[in-house]
Parts: sequence; structure tokens; C-alpha cells
Amino acid sequence: MRALWSGPAVAVRRVALLGVGLIAWETAARSGWFSPLIVPSVTRIGYQLWLLATQPDSLVDAWYSLARALGGFALAAVVGVALGVLMGRSTLVAASLGPFFSGTYPIPKIALFPIFIYLFGIGSLSKVLLIFLECLYPIVITTQAGGRAVNRVLVWSAANMGASRARILRSVVIPATAPFIFAGFRIALPIAMIVVIITEMISSADGLGYLVMYSLASFKTDRMLAVVVVIALMGVALDRLVVRVRDRFVSWERLDSYYVD
Amino acid sequence: MLALWQIAMRFGHPDFLLSPSEIARHFVEALWSGELLPHVGASLARSLPGFVVGSLIGVVLGLLAGVARNLDQLLSPVVFLTYPVPKIVFLPIVMLWVGIGDMSKIVVITLACFYPCFINAYYGARGTSTIMVWSGLNMGARRSQTFRKIVVPSALPLVFAGLRVSLALSFILLFSTEMINARSGLGFLIRQSESSLRFDLMYVAIVAVAALGYAGDQLLLLVRRRVLAWQDAASR
Repeated sequence: MRALWSGPAVAVRRVALLGVGLIAWETAARSGWFSPLIVPSVTRIGYQLWLLATQPDSLVDAWYSLARALGGFALAAVVGVALGVLMGRSTLVAASLGPFFSGTYPIPKIALFPIFIYLFGIGSLSKVLLIFLECLYPIVITTQAGGRAVNRVLVWSAANMGASRARILRSVVIPATAPFIFAGFRIALPIAMIVVIITEMISSADGLGYLVMYSLASFKTDRMLAVVVVIALMGVALDRLVVRVRDRFVSWERLDSYYVD
Repeated sequence: MLALWQIAMRFGHPDFLLSPSEIARHFVEALWSGELLPHVGASLARSLPGFVVGSLIGVVLGLLAGVARNLDQLLSPVVFLTYPVPKIVFLPIVMLWVGIGDMSKIVVITLACFYPCFINAYYGARGTSTIMVWSGLNMGARRSQTFRKIVVPSALPLVFAGLRVSLALSFILLFSTEMINARSGLGFLIRQSESSLRFDLMYVAIVAVAALGYAGDQLLLLVRRRVLAWQDAASR
């Protein structure tokens, strides 16, 4: 039984499952029980996907969403890792910033979006800054946990062998914290995607979130579902990318199967 | 920080920034005038069913997938593959299927709460020490007993971690779905007061959102301390 599931058989079964799902959808769409507005057929969604992939307009929208998400995420990554390492390594910084972060952590930052619009305008800046704020928390918190967990003996031996503080930070603390940092990145990146789509849905004139709402408002549900597929694929692809980069940097420790595959 | 903010506001400020003392005053006013509470009620009526149903299904299926290989192979690939997809994109689809009212919001919140709970319960159940299970079986425990007395307690710490993430997510999704389309609720209140330039009410709503998020989290931590008292005692 076990052998049947492992190896190529699993892939075959998964493709078969996907195929069955698509065929069921297509049959439902063509059965005439539902309005094509509510359940558009797979072929029409596929056609819209093809249009999305070939029209420069929609590529620009995808690019806007991606740039905002990655911009906010990158900003949060830089600031978050720096703050997290500082908080993990220095009790003084941890004592002064820690309560602030843990106190404001459960507050949904999305509620600040209207204020951000007034402060930073309705364009990309308010969105990027909100993404930055939402991504900052998981990165800071996981990095701090990692910075605290650095093996003392390693730090002591490096200091004993005459390494400067900067050198210890670079060669001992950062590599030892890296698995935690990447764990934070994996939490933060889907959040960046969520927030970029939400903010574009709420107020925007470009980006994929806007495209979803616009297609819905103009009753082009096949187009809307195609955009949803694009967003979903982007989310999965970005996550895979983080895992790739992580395995590159943290080559000494494989990620235990967070993904079953 | 609050003091700095208050002092900074002394030197003139644009209309859309209020000092903390003003916000506090407006908050109490809104609370008494009944402008706030109906919206709080409407928001909670959406987020709580979504959170409860979503996390319950997530925890139960996650625990079962953690112990039953068949279910694991059926469910886990789908769950882990769709996990990084931002669940908010399903709002328009769900709106098409179940209408634009509360139900669509509850469904999306349910969906979003399902994932963290499933994944944490799954790893919690899989992380159960095999020796414990073996000794349980050896001492004559039935499979259901093993599950209830050994797997569930050892998965609980991770389950609570998942619940905490789900709760935060449910609030994020609640306010964003309400900002996108709703006729009541705190997210709607923020949007409406913003577009009608009632900045006092906007800040009141934001403070209420923050307070709700914080209170929910504290409540969960309290329950966690109660339920997991043995864990704290053991780690001390």
C-alpha cells in the first residue's frame, strides 16, 4: 500500500484528481443548471487566462501588484531582520522595544489603511507602507526568537578566538539565526500578498485586486476567476521562491516537509 | 510614545490627525451615544461564526490527517498547495455564490481560519511521541482512547498556536471584507466616516478594532493558560 502511494504514482493520482475536478466543473457549467455568470466554464476561464497572459495591460496590473507586495516585503525584511537580531542579542533593546511589538501584534493593522491614505496618498506608497507594517511583525518576532536561541558556546568560542563583535554578528549570529529568519519570511510573504490584494480591492485603479473587483462589477466572472487563478499562482510561486532561497542559504539544514511532496 | 504624540499635536496639525486625548474623548462619547456598539455587534456576528467553524473544522481534520494515513494523503497535498493563496481573492467568487450579505464574509473568514488550524493540528498530531502511543496501546488502550488521551493533549500547544494565528487572520479579513462592501460593522464605519470626513468617528472605530483584536488575543491566551497549565508547570 505504501509503495503504491510513493513515487510517480502520487503525481499521477494528483493530476488525475485535478483532472476530475476540472471535468466536474466543466460539466456543471455546461449542464445549464447554473447561470454562466455564476459558474463560467473552464474553457472560458482558460481563454481569459490566455488573454491575461498576452495583453500588456493586464501584465502591467500584475506587475503593479507584485512590485507593491515585494517592495513592502523587502522593506520589512531589511528593517525586521535588523530589529529582530538587535532585540535577540541585546537585552536593552529587547526590553525597550519588546513590549511595544507584543502589545500591538494582535491589532489588525489593516484598520490603519484609511489614515495611511490620508498621510501618504492614495497611490502605491500607502499600500507599500501598510504591507511593510503587516510583514514587519512576523519577521521581527521570529528573528528575535532565533537571535535568542543562538548557541552560546559558538559565540564564546568565536570571541575567544579573537573575533570582533561585528565578525561574530556576521559569521556566527546571522547564520545561526537564518532558519528563523526564513521562517518569518514564509509567514510574511503570504501576508504581503493578502494585504496588496485587499488594499487594491478597497481603493485602487490598478493592480490585480482592482482587476478582480472591476471584472466582478462588469459581470465578467470568467475574467474575474482567471485573475483569481493568477493571484493564486503568484502566491504559490512566491512561496516556492522563498523555500528555494532558504535551501540555498541554509544548506546545512533541510526544511522538514512543510510541503508534502 | 502617546505623550510624544500628544505634545506633537499641540503644534497645529492637519484635520485628519487627532491627539490621543481627543480620540479618548470621542471614544467615550461614541460609546454612550450608541454610535459604536451596533457596529461592534455586527462585526462580531460575522467574525465569531467564521472563526469558530473554520478553526473547528481545521483542528479536527488536521488532527485526523495527522493520525490517519489515508486522510493525510487525500487532504494534505491540497491544503499545503493552496495554503499560500491569499484567501481574500475568494470573496468575489463567494459573493457570486451565496450573495453579497453576511454569509459571504463568514464563508471567507471560515476558509481563512481553516488553514493555520489544520496545519498546526496536523504537525501537532504527527509530532506525538511514538513511545507514548506504543505504551498506551501496550497497556490496552483502544485506538479512540489513544487518540483522545495521548494525541490530542500532545498536539494542543500547536493547536493553540494555530488558533492564535487564525484569530488574527479572522480580524484582518473581517475588516477588509467590511471595508470592501458592507452596510454595518467596524470596517464599514471606518470607511464611511473617512469618506464623510468624520475623522473623530474614524479614529474611534480604529481604536475599537485595535481593542477587539487585543481582547480576543488576550482571551485566547487566558484559555490557553487554563487548558495547558500542565505544560507550563512541566517546563518550569
